[in-house]
Amino acid sequence: MADVNSLVIAARLDDVRLACDMVVDAAEAAALDERAVYHCQMAVDEALTNIIEHGYEYEADGNTIEIRCAIEDDRFVITITDDSPAFNPLGHTAPDPGEPLDTREPGGWGIYFIRKLMDDVHYTRVNNHNQLVLVKNRPLVEAAQSLPASGDVEEAFASRVLDNGAVVIWPSGRLDSNTSPVLEQVLNSHLQRGHYWLFVDLAGVEYIASSGLKILVSAWRRANEHNGDLVLSGLQPRIIEILEMVGFDMLFQIFPDLDDALQAQSKRA
Amino acid sequence: MAMEINVSEMRRVRLFEVMGRVDSTNATELGSTLDKAADDGNNNLVLDLSGVEYMSSAGLREMVRILKRVKRNGGDLRIANPSERVKEVLELAGLDSIFEIYPTQVEAVGSF
Repeated sequence: MADVNSLVIAARLDDVRLACDMVVDAAEAAALDERAVYHCQMAVDEALTNIIEHGYEYEADGNTIEIRCAIEDDRFVITITDDSPAFNPLGHTAPDPGEPLDTREPGGWGIYFIRKLMDDVHYTRVNNHNQLVLVKNRPLVEAAQSLPASGDVEEAFASRVLDNGAVVIWPSGRLDSNTSPVLEQVLNSHLQRGHYWLFVDLAGVEYIASSGLKILVSAWRRANEHNGDLVLSGLQPRIIEILEMVGFDMLFQIFPDLDDALQAQSKRA
Repeated sequence: MAMEINVSEMRRVRLFEVMGRVDSTNATELGSTLDKAADDGNNNLVLDLSGVEYMSSAGLREMVRILKRVKRNGGDLRIANPSERVKEVLELAGLDSIFEIYPTQVEAVGSF
């Protein structure tokens, strides 16, 4: 993936803003949502401020920091490199958010925020330089779209065509507005090929938003129009609760697990 | 947009409407503006953050410092209407239980 932005700034607080702006642009180009973009900006701000204050001790003359942003499939990766004395910011103990006001030191929260806001953070010493790598995961849909070969989208959620033409689909994680379009593509691609018996096993789904429900219902409708069905199984209690809230438990056939669902269909057939 | 602060003197409260970015380049300016109120003997402070688009830990540090100062003098620093992002950061640092946070400026001012 050749999408790389980089910038070198002088080691002074006034230049941190330039790096923040560059990171915001790159994060938006990587299709991160507004919240994730904010997190990236704040992590970079905190990291650079630390380097300037503690690494270079406000000595800007001849001292620079390099910031690189890269899109690596499903990850947005920010690499910060400086040649101040070796310092691993991650080696320091984090402050405690539960600490009451009287004993609380006002500062020391920069590293804590970097760790909390990013999905992965690591430090290495490379050629006498400090290198801090900050990673934010990208939404699944965009990551899937940036994969080169066609058909990869379907791999985002496993699915298998059975001997009798029925299809089993295993979505996982969160079915929200980021990931539901992936499920939609998987369902549609099977429907288009004439597979009207769809078994969606939700055992690995921990959360479903209205966008996910909508996609299940429209696929259910299309399947039924062609004398098939979309059957659900393996729902976690919270997911059942959501379906009940909107009355979809009356719409779908729901089975405790996938085997029950498949057996019920073979009896019907 | 850099940071801007509008200060208004209310009957029992001094109100600070902060706008723009609060980061390591200007957090001390925010701190000294608030310090001035405490210097004048005004320890009931409201910080309206509705116009703050970005705040780093440098801004939080000044807020905590001032909160400790005015509390020692029997006052308080209360927050009005932080954005979702700023609220998230306050929560991450556990500051949502240390600061009183109000959804509107009117409620924050009226709380004193």
